[in-house]
Amino acid sequence: MNISLFRQMVKLNMKNFLCFGFGSALYVVLMTSLYPLFADNTEAVNELIKIVPETMKNALGFDSLTSYGGFISAEYFGLFFPIILGVFSVMTATQLLAHLVDKGSMAYLLSTKVSRSQIAFTQGFVLISGLLLIVSLTFLGGIAAGEALIDEQYSLEFYTFFQINFVGFLLFFVVGGYSFLVSSLCNDEKTSLGTAGALTFIFYGLDMAGKISPDFEWLRNITPFSLYNPSEIASGDAEIFVPSLILFGMGCFTYAAAVVVFKHRNLPL
Amino acid sequence: MIQIHGLTQQFSNGRGIFDVTFEVEKGEVFGFLGPNGAGKSTTIRHLMGYIKPQEGAAVIHGFNTWEQQEKARAKVGYLPGEISFMDGMNGLEFIQLMAGMQGRKDKKRRNELIERLQFEPKTPIRKMSKGMKQKVGIVVTFMHNPEVYILDEPTSGLDPLMQKVFIDLVLEEKAKGKTFLMSSHSFAEIERTCDRAAIIKDGRIVTVQNINDLQFMQRKIYEITLENKNDAERIQASNLIIEDINGNVVRIVVQGDYNKLIEELSKVNVTNINSVNQSLEDVFMNYYDAKETVK
Repeated sequence: MNISLFRQMVKLNMKNFLCFGFGSALYVVLMTSLYPLFADNTEAVNELIKIVPETMKNALGFDSLTSYGGFISAEYFGLFFPIILGVFSVMTATQLLAHLVDKGSMAYLLSTKVSRSQIAFTQGFVLISGLLLIVSLTFLGGIAAGEALIDEQYSLEFYTFFQINFVGFLLFFVVGGYSFLVSSLCNDEKTSLGTAGALTFIFYGLDMAGKISPDFEWLRNITPFSLYNPSEIASGDAEIFVPSLILFGMGCFTYAAAVVVFKHRNLPL
Repeated sequence: MIQIHGLTQQFSNGRGIFDVTFEVEKGEVFGFLGPNGAGKSTTIRHLMGYIKPQEGAAVIHGFNTWEQQEKARAKVGYLPGEISFMDGMNGLEFIQLMAGMQGRKDKKRRNELIERLQFEPKTPIRKMSKGMKQKVGIVVTFMHNPEVYILDEPTSGLDPLMQKVFIDLVLEEKAKGKTFLMSSHSFAEIERTCDRAAIIKDGRIVTVQNINDLQFMQRKIYEITLENKNDAERIQASNLIIEDINGNVVRIVVQGDYNKLIEELSKVNVTNINSVNQSLEDVFMNYYDAKETVK
């Protein structure tokens, strides 16, 4: 870890962190403000949901729309949150290593006594800090909006909402981790962006496919996205300890692998 | 200070560097000459620990430049050949970042260098000209008072005035006993500062020589304008090596023997003398060819 590098990198990326963070928080607030509309028309909404095929309900988490927790986890944390954070993780991971190698600016960072491992570790830490900031802003936005806009009777428990955000963070700790590993392997920025993006898209798609059709249920075993079930956390049906531990382990492994790869490979600088 | 021994790195396209071997003594300014694509930058990239050698090794200050790369780099000031800073920063922020990574807190030397190179450090990097970026690079390279300087084509992009400032800077550091390895594709650029030089061609070291010997060996062409055609004919009749005659303009090839040239020219009326700019291959053409026949 190198403090000077960390400080400058955070400064360079802060605009991005804040854009994604406030964007995500704003979305939560917006969705929350829509909830009273649903709550007042529960019957009509339920009628509507009956029309939707069973499989779609599973995929979109529609079966739990009747409570605020179910609503926000299905409509935001199950849908847009993965997309926003997925885009952020893939982009930032590429920016932090592959982009610098591709452009050649890495030659400067590697011209001092700071070792390759230290540089890779610092850059990984920048990515994790960014994710943490975005999830924190989302969490705070959700809490504030919940307090202000949702009636007491529907409101979501603080601790449950924290769990939704916490496991969500861990999921993108993993997505960021493998994207960072890809980034450390690539000489070319576009290859890194493409590969990490495609992986994320596939993993997200596998989880969706597994939810929609029972025949493809097994697909969910090979994607980290299946370890994050915001709707189940909201309804209190989810056991989060083991999935969190697995996600944390996968994340640590991928970041460590990225540092090792970056330390040993030839760089075209 | 710098030892390179049998360094070999062949790329998939068959090019690369082969059995590169030379040493740079402490306090020496060493030139590394070669046309573009000859392997200068590849050799330097090994010195900075960016690539693992297929064979051989490079050592700086006793540290292997691949296995102990960060230790080898600790006392090196490096100026890359291709400058590309990070976007979204201004020059000063970049300098501060590098100072932080070099572990240097003292701003005196940095400010002194900025003053000498005369540029506005707060200019955003994306708005800088090539020469200005080169100046930022020079500040970063020199500000942490390194023992060894590795400079890849350092004067590219600098105007003649700044080249002079740069050369003064090198000579000052040399006087302090610092070691330099400086690559270039132009002999004129390094002959003012270097003690010795290696010439590299197609990835192989052709020769390592004193600058004085190289100066003697170089093949220069002078374009001499004479007063009239008769004079041109007299020169033609002498035993100078004539490359080309066009009316009363004669191109004479000189290699070391300047006295003969002066002697012959004193017999005629000269109205203009011009030295012709040549590529490195042309300057050391005879030498390159001779070496090849020996092989």
